[in-house]
Amino acid sequence: MKTILMRSILAAALVIGVAQAHHSFTMFNNTAEQTITGTVKEFQWTNPHTFTFVDVTGADGKVETWGLEGMSPNYLGRRGWTKRTLQPGDKITVTIYPLKDGLKGGMFLRCKLADGTEKVMFGTPPRQ
Amino acid sequence: MLKACRFGCRCTLVTLGLTIAATASAQITKAPTAASWAELAKLPDFGGVWEVTRGPAPAAGTRPAPPEQPSLTPKYAEMLKAYRAHPPQDSVAANCVPPGMPGVMGQPYPLEFIISPGKVTIIAEAYMQVRHIYTDGRPHPEDPDLTFNGHSIGKWEKDTLVVDTVGFSKATSLGAGINHSEKMHIVERMRLTAPDNLEIVTTIDDAEALTKPFTRTANFARHRDWTTAEYICQENNRNSVDESGKAGINLTR
Repeated sequence: MKTILMRSILAAALVIGVAQAHHSFTMFNNTAEQTITGTVKEFQWTNPHTFTFVDVTGADGKVETWGLEGMSPNYLGRRGWTKRTLQPGDKITVTIYPLKDGLKGGMFLRCKLADGTEKVMFGTPPRQ
Repeated sequence: MLKACRFGCRCTLVTLGLTIAATASAQITKAPTAASWAELAKLPDFGGVWEVTRGPAPAAGTRPAPPEQPSLTPKYAEMLKAYRAHPPQDSVAANCVPPGMPGVMGQPYPLEFIISPGKVTIIAEAYMQVRHIYTDGRPHPEDPDLTFNGHSIGKWEKDTLVVDTVGFSKATSLGAGINHSEKMHIVERMRLTAPDNLEIVTTIDDAEALTKPFTRTANFARHRDWTTAEYICQENNRNSVDESGKAGINLTR
């Protein structure tokens, strides 16, 4: 919500301004960030969105796979990401906007890797 | 002119003589020459990759004027009202349908300008769209096909490229629920206001949909270190919107 891009997207009722590139974000709850921790199963470096699948083990030991929509390779590639930024097996903590419908999915905002590296995909990290 | 071309296309299947007659009226793209390439060096440098920006900051203590809004005729205002009464959850862009004009010029992904003799080409990274702006003096077709990006001709007025575009598919829109007619006409005035700032002033008129023309200004920053990336929307599109307007997302791995 804090980025110029996001404000522009939300403010643009007219396509002659800055439009959203692909689809509406209304399916995500952008008022409640959620954090999930798990293991990267697959990082799809594809258009129109990257998708990160993360295996999350619940308190009952059951593993559920979350599907996280992210920004596109062109956008991320200009901001220091590559197709190898996330690798299968990486332990990861991801901050997301969850899907409103309760499915195991959301919009990928930023993440912290096991070595402490933080990577921002969308928006700006919260102030320390 | 275009009718003749269509006729000619059919004629190629019939007789060679008719084909030659029809082709003679088609617009010929002249072969470039050393002189025509040299002429380009005198033009402002629009080449390279540009990203839309918020534009220059307003003067201290002032606020920028709110952007002009389209003034719709009663018929088109009614269409907007009907749309807003039952708005879809998403637009068909979720199904990878590209925006067309004017939306193609306002995407959050860059535009690349290529200037060559008789033509300015704009590549929009979003959906990998192309605008062909003919600067060789040709007119618009008399009865243009209706396309997403329209038919564009351009001319240089000193340092400003003035682009005139007609022939838009009604599949494109001016915004959510804001439709246009086949009469929509767009004029863009493009100029460098700083070495790496491209200003585009866009004026849209439509005698059927708008009570008066409206104008918007956009600014773009040049990134010499960027190239244009591939964007095949159908590669892994998990978003969708159906005919009833319901949006979906496929999380199946």
